[in-house]
Amino acid sequence: MTWVLAVPALLLMALVFGWPMLRYGWLSLHASSVLTGLEPVPNQGANWIRLLEDARFWQDAAQTLRFAGVSVGLEVLLALAIALLLDQRWRGRSLVRAVSLLPWALPTTMMALGWRWILNTPYGPIEQAATALGLPPLNLLSNPDWTWLATVLADVWKTTPFITLLLLAGLQTIPADLYSAFRLEGGKSLGALTAITLPLLTPYILISLLFRTAQAAGVFDLIQVLTGGGPAGSTESIAQYAYLNAMRFLDFGYSATVMLAGFLLLALVIVTAAVLLHLGRLVRPMNP
Amino acid sequence: MPLLRRLLLVLLGLVLTATIGWTSVRRPEQVTILMPAPFADATAEQVIRFNAEHRGRIRLNVIRGPRDTESISDLAISSLLLGAPPFDALLVDVTWLPKYVAADWLQPLDPWFDDADVASLISGARLGNSVDGELYRWPFGADVGLLYWRTDLMPAPPRTPEEVVQLTQRLTEDNKVTEGFVWQGRQYEGLSCDFVEFLSAFGGTWLDPATGAPELDSPAARATARWMQELIRSGSSPRAVSNYAEPETLQAFKAGDAALMRNWPYAWSELQSEGSAVQGRVGVTTMVAEPDATPAATLGSWGFSLLRDSVHQQATAEAIRDLTSPEAQRQRFLVQGYTPTAAALFQDPELLQKSPVLPQLQEALSIAEPRPLTPLYAQMSDLLQRQLSGVLTGDDNPDEAMEHLQQATLTLLRSAGGDA
Repeated sequence: MTWVLAVPALLLMALVFGWPMLRYGWLSLHASSVLTGLEPVPNQGANWIRLLEDARFWQDAAQTLRFAGVSVGLEVLLALAIALLLDQRWRGRSLVRAVSLLPWALPTTMMALGWRWILNTPYGPIEQAATALGLPPLNLLSNPDWTWLATVLADVWKTTPFITLLLLAGLQTIPADLYSAFRLEGGKSLGALTAITLPLLTPYILISLLFRTAQAAGVFDLIQVLTGGGPAGSTESIAQYAYLNAMRFLDFGYSATVMLAGFLLLALVIVTAAVLLHLGRLVRPMNP
Repeated sequence: MPLLRRLLLVLLGLVLTATIGWTSVRRPEQVTILMPAPFADATAEQVIRFNAEHRGRIRLNVIRGPRDTESISDLAISSLLLGAPPFDALLVDVTWLPKYVAADWLQPLDPWFDDADVASLISGARLGNSVDGELYRWPFGADVGLLYWRTDLMPAPPRTPEEVVQLTQRLTEDNKVTEGFVWQGRQYEGLSCDFVEFLSAFGGTWLDPATGAPELDSPAARATARWMQELIRSGSSPRAVSNYAEPETLQAFKAGDAALMRNWPYAWSELQSEGSAVQGRVGVTTMVAEPDATPAATLGSWGFSLLRDSVHQQATAEAIRDLTSPEAQRQRFLVQGYTPTAAALFQDPELLQKSPVLPQLQEALSIAEPRPLTPLYAQMSDLLQRQLSGVLTGDDNPDEAMEHLQQATLTLLRSAGGDA
């Protein structure tokens, strides 16, 4: 009978999550554009056929996954290093802990605007420094091959503190006597990292990967403000393409299709991550 | 205490009387127009004059929107979708009009602009303002694609696509120029504008004028794509042209590195300015065409549209008429260089003195060709740019690319609910 207690939560989920998804699914099977007076008209799956052949969608999907993969990977590595440092006892640690959270506290739009100025050609400080050193213009925000790294940089700067916080919490659950026992047995400090810290931290690392991958795969605000999806569409994400179809092309049927397809891709990533998380539990050593 | 209370009451009474008195004074009708920043700046003086002339009756406010075309489109559409937009009229790009009309956002301008008004416009400026026979847009300026040529390198500009290839190949082989023919080959809207002209040169059209069906796999369209690839492969155009927008194109021509350039009218004054290496050695003409085809000049230009939900339609129409009056056009031409739309101004001695190429502009406007007038234009253009970019930068087979483009365009029409 305990499941009855979950009913209110399930109802809420159905309302805010299930209903919109069903509505998207329904809309993706209809034409709803300026040609139909913005009214939904069944179109026999034409949106999905279009999606399969839509080079722009697949390019955006690849770019979104690349952005999510690279930025989350970098964030976890950096956050791990910072968390280990902040877990040690040293003078001024509390101050540094507080300060290191600041990027996370900034609204994304504001920080993206800040990065846009920092990376600006020719007025940004990076470009000015390059000019002072006699280098040719770097054009950091207008290179179709490399500008995506600028979006990664801004994302890493902003969200590393979030993962640091998660990992720091994880570190504090590891009992100190494990390390004492390890030292007593004559282990080296680097050995403690691989033998105790990392295995016990694995669930926390996987949880951060899950959270952040889901968030990064839906990236919109950061890219919209920093590059607008350019240059030549090289940083455009799935969410931006869906926005474009709805807000600029007024094609709501296709926009719903893009959004839903993006969700399915994301679900695929999350299921994979969840399987990894499960495996992580299996290999987790027992607490003494 | 009672004294204080009485004082407060008196004060309250005074404030109330003043407020009632203030609001009962007849306030002027507020008219608000959204424009991209450069146009807002170009009309600033005219707005001040208009407000002085209509003091107490109409108060015109211009919202200085973003500079970027796409940003202003997003801004306008967001407020239009939400309903009750905070403006009465807006400047729309020629390619947006069918979409805005299909979304039922605009009010026809026919009650305020009659046939005589339309007849006073130069031929090219009459295009792209009407949908289904109703006038929805009044042009702010005229803008068409032109072919610039070097008078010191050739006795007369080339007239056919073959002549372009032969001439530029000879000039680059003789080391007269390094870049031959420069145009807009980057994957963006400029590429679609160039394509419309090139396609017309081979006698093709993007959409069938009678049925509106796409014709992108026609023999003419295939020949166009083959020619564009040939330009780059044969060295008639530099490889870098596949990443050129207007500024890069102008830069190459202005530095004297190119023999021919496809660009808009604004380039003329740039080429005659101090820093130009080709000052006084530039001619202007229209795009080339096969002997049996009609040349075309892609129509650019912005225009004012009145919103259906505006509650100040009469006053807004007055403001639009004033901001587009021949006098306002003359001022904008002399100060900012915006091409006028009134036919009479093309014979104006003062204007001709400022720009001797006005007759060539008039000629180009007489063959002006709007990009497809369909609500789905933005998506169609995106598909075209992607396929053509593959042809120009990669080794995509032009015939296959155009077949693929035709199919993709038909799929788009089906998905959006068109009859295809």
